[in-house]
Amino acid sequence: MGTFHTGKSELHGITLALRTRDEVYVGRCDDMNDEHVILLDADGHRDGEGGKSADAWLDRAAKFGVAPKLPRLVLPMADVTEYAPLGEYYSGVGKTKAAKPAAEPTPAPAAPAAADALVTLTDAAVKEVKRILAEDGRPGLGLRLGVVGGGCSGLVYKSELDAPRDGDVVVPNDGFDVLLDRKSSIYLRGVTLDHQGGLDGRGFVFRNPNATNTCGCGESFSV
Amino acid sequence: MPYPEEMVAPMRAELVEMGVRELRTAADVDAFFADKSGTSLILVNSVCGCAAGSARPGLGRALRTDKHPDRVATVFAGQDLEPTAKAREHFGDIPPSSPSMALFKDGELVHFVPRHMIEGRDALGVAAGLIEAFEEYC
Repeated sequence: MGTFHTGKSELHGITLALRTRDEVYVGRCDDMNDEHVILLDADGHRDGEGGKSADAWLDRAAKFGVAPKLPRLVLPMADVTEYAPLGEYYSGVGKTKAAKPAAEPTPAPAAPAAADALVTLTDAAVKEVKRILAEDGRPGLGLRLGVVGGGCSGLVYKSELDAPRDGDVVVPNDGFDVLLDRKSSIYLRGVTLDHQGGLDGRGFVFRNPNATNTCGCGESFSV
Repeated sequence: MPYPEEMVAPMRAELVEMGVRELRTAADVDAFFADKSGTSLILVNSVCGCAAGSARPGLGRALRTDKHPDRVATVFAGQDLEPTAKAREHFGDIPPSSPSMALFKDGELVHFVPRHMIEGRDALGVAAGLIEAFEEYC
């Protein structure tokens, strides 16, 4: 259930904050390549305009978003000095962190899974699953991971608490079982599940060494 | 232009099935906001697969905790234009985005989750943020 897009940048659909030499922009990325970035429903601010600094303007945008004043904005990538998903820019009321440099690579997973391992959970993921299971309180549940068709890149990860079912592949973990249906176990082989907490975290994050293309929001992938 | 109803019906049903009241008219919205006692939450639903696909189950997950809003409702952006516009009148000067969620306490907006804070998070991540807000305000 969702919308499907093909042939777009991995950041398609993600609200971005961008800096140029004198201005900052926020908008929903339609596409990005080496030549240009296309933002939809965007707004921009020149540093010092109306007595407000670019940082102050971005701080408010990071909390609440921006009014869509520019239906479609095309910026040459040569003018863009930094960009980051707006949801990652925000780090709490009154605090900001610098947007990531455009060329900064995605950090490598803290605990990469062995190639033949089914699913590996980082310590942070284990801790979060245990917290959720304790909060839920229902006995006999495990963490079901799976993939279903959909999303921007073809397949979408799923994570939920569930009881074991016939035919499940069960991966014992520290205090709970990870449950995979047979089909999902094929796609999830070698995957590491991490958890990024806090208000500016992304929640559970799948790191899939088999994915050849990943949606910018991390929700979908293709193999 | 609204999507065909048969396409969005499951997106409506997903919320209704978790006990969220759907506001289909401006009068529904007025009635919802008329009761300013306690806490209430309104989710601006969306067809966006990646973000709304996490927002809806994330809300459902958060509503299963002990502390949650007294009343929960939804409007559907892009589909039900009049009630969505009416609901957004209660969001002050916060720019419109969907999906998004607004939490009110005694009639005052106390917490807002814009779309960009949902993008890239899974349902459990969305739920975690909501649960923190529910713990604080509900």
